[in-house]
Amino acid sequence: MNSQRRSNLLGTLARRSLLAALLSVAATGLALAAASQLPPLVEPASQEHHVGKVIFAELVTPDLAAAKQFYGGLFGWTFSDIQSGKAEYAAASLDGHVVAGLIHKDFSTGEHRKPAWLSFIAVRDVDATKNLAVQHGAKVLFTPHSFPDRGREAVLADPQGAVFAVLASSSDDPADVLAEPGEWIWSSLITSDPDAGAAFYQTLFDYEVFDLPADEGAQHLLLATDNYARASANSWPADKTSVHPHWLNYVRVEDADKMAAKAVALGGRILVEPRVDRHGGKVAVIADPAGAAFGLLEWPDTESKEVAQ
Amino acid sequence: MNYSAWRWPAVTLAVGLFASLSSGCIATGGGDGYDGNVGVGVGYYEPAGVEYGGWGRGYRVGPFRGGDRRAGPGNGRTHAYRSAPASHSAPSIPSRSRAGNSHPTRSR
Repeated sequence: MNSQRRSNLLGTLARRSLLAALLSVAATGLALAAASQLPPLVEPASQEHHVGKVIFAELVTPDLAAAKQFYGGLFGWTFSDIQSGKAEYAAASLDGHVVAGLIHKDFSTGEHRKPAWLSFIAVRDVDATKNLAVQHGAKVLFTPHSFPDRGREAVLADPQGAVFAVLASSSDDPADVLAEPGEWIWSSLITSDPDAGAAFYQTLFDYEVFDLPADEGAQHLLLATDNYARASANSWPADKTSVHPHWLNYVRVEDADKMAAKAVALGGRILVEPRVDRHGGKVAVIADPAGAAFGLLEWPDTESKEVAQ
Repeated sequence: MNYSAWRWPAVTLAVGLFASLSSGCIATGGGDGYDGNVGVGVGYYEPAGVEYGGWGRGYRVGPFRGGDRRAGPGNGRTHAYRSAPASHSAPSIPSRSRAGNSHPTRSR
């Protein structure tokens, strides 16, 4: 009898221990699920939708700590860490506004690739945009996935090979306001065939396309929606033979020379020296310590102007 | 054996597994400089060999804010894209500051 009672007691203890352990696993899983949620792009939701606008950028880097130090030191970005299993993600903000996501990923020795910023373009319907893109020659690199609070996104390569993402933000799109220094202000598609590239993106985002003056043999196009310039499409420099079509994003700065020098002091490299561009201010292209390229674009604080034809 | 005693542990296990699996939004990918298997977000790499620089004097990438002009709808050539109507002026970027000036201009 005593033996049977002891056996029952042990069984009850075992079941309770197992229950406690399983509850612990469940709680950990739920905590991770909550922790790995990407922050919304806009808080509170903006009630604005701007199809065709570049609304976000993400960087994959082999040294997340170094990237945070670099971009934090250069632009004043602050970071909140999101851990999910082996993945480390840092959400970058500037004065409370989400500006970027940084993802840690190790590189294998001998990999023929390097870190890069990925541009996210606003859409209303990711799946429909993906299907339309495929019909017009795009390749799907990441099928549409939904991320809690962030929205639904997919990664595509355009017919020339430039990689971009489309995002239907759960919190609507960032308002059409002038970027502050330290925020993304502009994007360029640098490609083998701007003409075909503009046609492709016009199909997806209904861009108005403006042909801008360019040197002989080059083509510079302006892509616009909602009566705002959203991006340029440029043929790649004539003396470059080893380039791959790509999107390049620019952060607004007030002094490109000073910021380029600061980037170098923080471990970056200058890829294109500061030079005057069509708006009268300077642009520069910088590589971060891991080699990911981004642009700097000066934009004085006075009002932007429309140009009459 | 009393199966009902194991009902709640089994339910808890199922909840735990679901929560753990859903926590990472794991996806797979590969090729073309893309690797989606990073747990959260997406992962994109450029192929090695992408070069920057070599921008000649007339190479312009930015928006404009005055003084520049369109080359003309279609620039007299046939294009794959639809040119904006001639009556449309080429726009600049947004100029409005954030509402309420809650985001004052900084020097950077």
